[in-house]
Amino acid sequence: MLPEGAISARHVWKRFRADRSKRDLRDSMRRLKAQLGGRRTPWTWALQDVTLDVEPGDSVALLGPNGSGKSTLLKILTRVMYPYAGSVDVSGRVGALIEVRAGLHPELSGRENVYLYGTLLGLRRREVAKRFDDIIEFAELQQAVDRQVKFYSSGMQMRLGFAVAAFLEPHVLLVDEILAVGDASFQHRCTERMHEVLAQGTTLVFVSHDLAAVEATCRRGLWLQNGVVQADGPLAGVMGGYREWIDASAASGGTMDGIVRLRRTTVAPPRRDEVPRSHGPLDVELSIESPESTPATVCVGITEGTAAPIILLERQLHLAEGRTDVRCSIASLPLPRGRFYVWVVAYDVKRTLLPWQPAGSFDVVGPDLDRSPHGIVQLAPVHVETTWDEDRGDAIPSAPVRRLGSSRG
Amino acid sequence: MTATRTDVEPGPPRELLYRRRVGLVAAARELWASRELVWTLAERDYLARYKQAVLGFGWALFTPVALMVVFTVFFRRVADVDTGGAPYPLFSYLGLLPWTFFSTSISQGGLSLITNKMLLNKVYCPREVFPVSSVVVAGIDTAIALLALGALFVIYGFVPRLTSVWVPVLLLIQVTFTTSVALISSAVVVHLRDIRHALPILLQLGLFATPVAYGIDTIPAHLRGLYSVLNPLAPVIDGYRRTVLLGQQPAWDLVGLGGASSVVLLLVGYRLFKRLETGLADVA
Repeated sequence: MLPEGAISARHVWKRFRADRSKRDLRDSMRRLKAQLGGRRTPWTWALQDVTLDVEPGDSVALLGPNGSGKSTLLKILTRVMYPYAGSVDVSGRVGALIEVRAGLHPELSGRENVYLYGTLLGLRRREVAKRFDDIIEFAELQQAVDRQVKFYSSGMQMRLGFAVAAFLEPHVLLVDEILAVGDASFQHRCTERMHEVLAQGTTLVFVSHDLAAVEATCRRGLWLQNGVVQADGPLAGVMGGYREWIDASAASGGTMDGIVRLRRTTVAPPRRDEVPRSHGPLDVELSIESPESTPATVCVGITEGTAAPIILLERQLHLAEGRTDVRCSIASLPLPRGRFYVWVVAYDVKRTLLPWQPAGSFDVVGPDLDRSPHGIVQLAPVHVETTWDEDRGDAIPSAPVRRLGSSRG
Repeated sequence: MTATRTDVEPGPPRELLYRRRVGLVAAARELWASRELVWTLAERDYLARYKQAVLGFGWALFTPVALMVVFTVFFRRVADVDTGGAPYPLFSYLGLLPWTFFSTSISQGGLSLITNKMLLNKVYCPREVFPVSSVVVAGIDTAIALLALGALFVIYGFVPRLTSVWVPVLLLIQVTFTTSVALISSAVVVHLRDIRHALPILLQLGLFATPVAYGIDTIPAHLRGLYSVLNPLAPVIDGYRRTVLLGQQPAWDLVGLGGASSVVLLLVGYRLFKRLETGLADVA
């Protein structure tokens, strides 16, 4: 018997059908015919001989590029999926922080959804009732609790889902990229809450592309590459290797090829001895290799790491056969301090030439954003240069200052 | 990297292959432990439906009552149904109650894994909670539809007979059979998607293959045993009519056959479900 909170996954293999055809009767017939004809159905390995043993209270980061098998491994640990070979044993209550909107029902009120979602995550209704006030307070939804969830903003839905999960008190907590959405102040509280849970001795397995968050949270790293364990050990060492690999693969061009190939991406200010600054200039240079001469729409997005961009810059141009260099010069960068990512997509009238993918990252030096007041969700961290004037007339002692800002919900 | 080659694969050694063995007892125990989840899901479906529809709970009454009216007006004209002296609307409504329960359970429960596939991919729970909660929802519908039965009793000045004490036994068989079919259809529909389009038609045919509008006497006597094995709803419906309307014992031989067949189907169906469950997240 494993102690509560321990994970033991030994020699885990998982495969998926390579053809990915729909599962209906017609396809089954065709597959059966192929099998009778002696042809084997092709499979792709998602995980190959992955072993992960975690002591109670330890915190492990799963590192690796998209499609390396991190999420599959996490799903197997959650018992949503079963391995093809190997053994998996997770002891104690398992809590998974999942992409939360899956569990919410739009027609029900916030209150009803808290119960629904809590029960789904394995709490008893009594236990949900006990935590109900804490959950609502954490999610800052006191005013909206009896409103139908379809009238919630996406930020409110996210907060509701995370708040329920945050009060699960599991022995093992599995987190998949959850913190990539939501406003900065809520993200901050989520991270704090995660550290609190860790301090109580919860075992954590964490998947995130946000390497800074990983470094702040985890002690150990497991680096997967095409479903094979590339490195396993103390985080610093594994992270070092992973970072080197990222730099190396970024230098050799984009990781995902479409019809065209991204040979190189450079993100830097026009004067190369400078660093990107808030309201400073920035050049994004793409070197695209195309097998044919084609018109194309190239679109550069700047994101906080996720696929949803803060800024989208689009340009119609003509790609020559061979290499085309494109430079997009941003005169003034409306971003606060922090790390941002450049994503790229290229398409023409009927095809996607290059799938939407991260192509590079940069750190901005500059001011922090003002903290948003409670209950106001800031969707994108855009920094605007402002000056404020207060004109205090004598007749009206407390003339209100109008605040500009967008609040939802 | 050559790790994702698809032609000739090294693969894991045979002795490592993952075998998931779930005993039925262990599975049932886990389902029992998840009973609050079943209830919450049923409540979710119910509340959601109630909030969307103007008629709300009225829908639960509408389907069986409308069919009863249609049967009374048309069916009786073309076929001479022997009701044993009971008013035809009561006779057909007693058949329609279990039938509507069955058909709602299957049409909702059969698709329950597909409609909840977002959850299947994210949260672990014994997967049978989804079809089972559909059966619970259909049960609540039936309870509401009982109101119309009461009204019919009043209209016809008819009092249920004392033999109605046997109703719980019949009900148990009805629920067992319905749950088995809901489990099987839900798991099969995920793996073979086009079955979902066939479901409504199969249910339509089922309405006529079941003694809802007519009595079980229509079936030749020597075939009734086989009929009861294949369609346990038949002896159950016949049993309701005998006990509630006619003051007779149920036809115990047929009810026994139907009951035995339901239990076997539940065991086989649950096992099949647990087996197919392993691959659900891969294909859903």
